[in-house]
Amino acid sequence: MPGPLAILFVLLGTTIILLVVLQLRAPLTATPAGKILAFLAFCALPILCGFWGLNEHLERSKQTAFCLSCHIMQPYGRSLYADDPMYIPAAHSQNHRIPAEEACYTCHTDYAMYGTIRVKLHGLRHIYVQYFGTPMNPIHLYDPYNNRECLHCHAGARSFENPTHMALLDQIKTNSLSCVSSGCHDTIHNVASIDKVKIWRPQE
Amino acid sequence: MNAGRRGFSVSFRLSGILLVIGLCVEAISLFWIHPLAFLSFFVVGGGFLGAGVLLYLSSIIFHPSSTNPNDWHAR
Repeated sequence: MPGPLAILFVLLGTTIILLVVLQLRAPLTATPAGKILAFLAFCALPILCGFWGLNEHLERSKQTAFCLSCHIMQPYGRSLYADDPMYIPAAHSQNHRIPAEEACYTCHTDYAMYGTIRVKLHGLRHIYVQYFGTPMNPIHLYDPYNNRECLHCHAGARSFENPTHMALLDQIKTNSLSCVSSGCHDTIHNVASIDKVKIWRPQE
Repeated sequence: MNAGRRGFSVSFRLSGILLVIGLCVEAISLFWIHPLAFLSFFVVGGGFLGAGVLLYLSSIIFHPSSTNPNDWHAR
């Protein structure tokens, strides 16, 4: 069965062919049926293609490959392959606790209502800064990392419900104590020293 | 009436060209996974598509055409 992308390409091709035919055979649009066909080709189908394409691009922007296509992000991508279980992103990605092909998005999205829209707007800001501004050096998050994104998966998990976490649960839930604070899970991407770390290479 | 039909014809053809360019940009952008592909889709492709659709809609609103196919051949 053809995937959504193949169907989109067929729709794009059909719309282009219809437009070209109607341009070359303009008298067709003078009849009532021709007017309906023209409305489809000049209005309904292009709008459908536009929204479908937008959805496709938004889905692609969740891919790790999309994030790492910017040079500035490559050390962060490299940190996903650190051969050290203390590296939180590496441990999550390598063990498929998160989908490896959407590793960045899974941890850096916003699991609140309308969070996806908010992070996509942040993404547009990243693009603006990358191409029209001066990227931060070193780059950092716009806001402190929210424990909500960790708890989205870990809350209620057996491995999470240990005495340490349970004693600190209120502070964790209110973000008054960050999961990634010093002494807890504080080895994140550590890109400054990633070149000194052994890199794990997955078997094909 | 002739001026109206000519106006419709020009808008109709121009909107078709804009839409074909916009759809081609969209199709090309889908071959590439990169923020620039998204930008080109959104800004360039979306711009052409939006302009094409608006021009078509304005042409059918402000320059209603004759329903007689012979009028097209007469031009």
